Amino acid sequence: MKQRLSLALAAMLIIAACGTKAGESGSSGSDASGVKTDFGVTASDITLGVMTDMTGPFKNLSIGITHGNQLWVNDFNAAGGVCGRKVGLQVVDHAYKADQAKTLYPQLEPKVLGFVQVVGSPIMAALKQNIQSDKVTTTPASWSSELLDNPYVMIVGTTYDVEMIDGMSYLQDQGMIKDGDTVGHIYIEGEYGANGLRGSRYYAQQHHLNLREVKITSSDNDLTNIVTGLRGEGVKAIMLTTTPAQTGSVAAANKALGLNVPLLGNNPTYDPVLLNSPAANALDRLYVVASSVPYSADIPKAKEVSSKYKAAAFPEPPNAGVDYGYAVAEVWGTVLKKACDNKDLTRDGILRALQQTTSADTGNLVAALDFSKAGAPPTRQVYVAQADATVEGGIKYVKPLFEAPEAKGYVAPHQK
Amino acid sequence: MSELATRTAVTATPVKAPAKSLRWLKLAAWLAVLVVLLALPLYLQAEWLKAGQWMMTGAVGAIGLTMLVGQAGQLSLAHAFFLLAGGTTYTVLASGTEDGRVVGFGLDPLLSLLIAVAFTALLGLAFAPVSGRLRGIYLGVASLSLVFLGLYFGQSADRLTGGTSTGRTPAPFALFGFTFDSSGSLQILGVPIRQAEKMWYLYLALTVIAFVLARGAVNSRVGRSWRAVRDHEASAAAMGVNVARAKAGAFAVSSAYAGLAGAMTVLWFDILKPDENEFGTYGINVSIAYLAMVIIGGLGSIGGALVGALIVFGLPQVLSLYSTQLGIFTGSGEGAFTPVLVSTFVYGAAIILVVLFEPGGLAAIGRRITGSLHRDRKKEGTLDETAAFPGPRGDADHRRVRHQGG
Repeated sequence: MKQRLSLALAAMLIIAACGTKAGESGSSGSDASGVKTDFGVTASDITLGVMTDMTGPFKNLSIGITHGNQLWVNDFNAAGGVCGRKVGLQVVDHAYKADQAKTLYPQLEPKVLGFVQVVGSPIMAALKQNIQSDKVTTTPASWSSELLDNPYVMIVGTTYDVEMIDGMSYLQDQGMIKDGDTVGHIYIEGEYGANGLRGSRYYAQQHHLNLREVKITSSDNDLTNIVTGLRGEGVKAIMLTTTPAQTGSVAAANKALGLNVPLLGNNPTYDPVLLNSPAANALDRLYVVASSVPYSADIPKAKEVSSKYKAAAFPEPPNAGVDYGYAVAEVWGTVLKKACDNKDLTRDGILRALQQTTSADTGNLVAALDFSKAGAPPTRQVYVAQADATVEGGIKYVKPLFEAPEAKGYVAPHQK
Repeated sequence: MSELATRTAVTATPVKAPAKSLRWLKLAAWLAVLVVLLALPLYLQAEWLKAGQWMMTGAVGAIGLTMLVGQAGQLSLAHAFFLLAGGTTYTVLASGTEDGRVVGFGLDPLLSLLIAVAFTALLGLAFAPVSGRLRGIYLGVASLSLVFLGLYFGQSADRLTGGTSTGRTPAPFALFGFTFDSSGSLQILGVPIRQAEKMWYLYLALTVIAFVLARGAVNSRVGRSWRAVRDHEASAAAMGVNVARAKAGAFAVSSAYAGLAGAMTVLWFDILKPDENEFGTYGINVSIAYLAMVIIGGLGSIGGALVGALIVFGLPQVLSLYSTQLGIFTGSGEGAFTPVLVSTFVYGAAIILVVLFEPGGLAAIGRRITGSLHRDRKKEGTLDETAAFPGPRGDADHRRVRHQGG
């Protein structure tokens, strides 16, 4: 037995001596045309990463975004790519679980130049340190201005706080609220809610509004008693930084209790699915602010994306994620082209190209973007939209892109 | 009771030579496992090491819980609360004050870790008035309240936890100036030893220490007093065991293990972020996952807890890594088979199978295998009758006592 054991140990030592993972790390250098490269770039391909939620709670939006990304990749490659290279996507599904994302990340990271999509604020929080130390430019599908302390984070669109400020100024312009009024804000505990609240607090302070803050958790689904309480406070409007289900509950209670005040929601508060819910008839007082367009937007680029979506025959019904996903990738295209002009397709080169991007045009799918100011949202413009069952995607504009004066003066948490 | 006494007497008698050779074999097997674990970072890519570290985090927590539930017979669903307490304590003590939002002391990471473990032990001790009075499902429900307390604490004490919005970054672990990050140019057999590899060795060391200490506790006076209290409080008291003390001690030890696992969780995520609702990193689901590890592994078995952690924490990780490599479970949307779903089914099924067919868990199956090895040797005539128990020592004996004595 001793012999057997020593044999086994000897065998293990021999195995240990050969065939370790030594010398498998990536290569870096520059190619024949003098373009520098490191991760995720070969002579013929550029690989971008997608960490998405295809099976978890945000699958509808995430799948839409991924399809949008893919549509752009097809167009971009058909137009010749960049630096003589074609772009490809590597997609992984973390199902909105931070621990899964944390192990999938080291598998994916060495293979990609950057991340065109990372879904979810818990996932972004868990990966924050990695993104910084690996210097990998990342676009989160999460719009909190708290993320902007990381130079490698590229938010496409405006942030929740700015959405709220712009939206409240819209309500005031329309005469729905006035200085000194009492207004309510129902928000979810966590990064999303806290960031929305930051905006409404700022606006309330500017206009001496009496802000009633109501904190809930993402698992509360019947908000009738909260709306009853706000009615008792005499609110003139209710702000929402909630889930779509909660938005439906508030809208229904708003109507049923005869309160009937305007509701203002951040962009994730609305999902066209609400039009098939019992709250459908109560949505007429809901205004949604967002900086990327609804699926059925009446602009040429959105129509183009929509026709491509139909041609690609994806099985899922389209939503606003498709246009957003296309627009995000388009911004990536701008950055890649700039990096190519600089002859530097390394990760450092991508960051430099991003910081030089003072105008990224997405054909108005998203407001014009400027990434040159560290810590500041790349745009402060939003659309205001309302639910409409008669249009595809379930939402229509009531006010085109605009920026409120209050939003211009607002200082984001990590703005320098 | 008399059985327990005789059993204790048997294990205490000097073991005869053939049994000693078996014990040596077992030790050799554990050593072989350790050698393999030490060598793994030279072969596995970073993502597999990361998954392995997560399993070891689970193992440390599960060892603590198996001592409480299996050895001392106290059901607890509070494990997630102690994870949060340990992680928060470590982060507050080890992190600096450069971020003005939060409190930090900038202590030595090792010292912080030790204090975190000691502090969670004290917290567990503070729960003694409750855990001493209640038993079974009543204690389980009472301990569940701690998870909700933790949720509230995490959200409101944002000067300590960083708040649910952004959380806070824990100081990276360091040992006498040696930092566990990607710096330095250390190489073993041509493999650069970077953060993933260093953290693997750190987690392995912590797991081994936790394992050895737990084995020691279970096989000592302390463990015997826990089992005596578990089997019959009155007779334990009659034998001179201080029941209240044994119960409080078990809760404190288990909490300390959870505190260590909590610090490991925070270091693994590189962030301390309290939960936004009750189903997060420190929520009910985690408490239940730990209970599942303990049940699958076999209540009270330390080795079983390791295997339970491998299944409950490891399976989702391994499946999702494989699924992206091999392109399996790549469905999306409604009704898709995902790694998370598949592993939930597997560990759900494992619990049912264990409870129905092998209440002793995987540990009992393991013991049966080593037991049959025993019998083979008996046929060869190398083992005398008195030593021919299926489970040579440790917790198997006590379980048999429990089955007989109710």
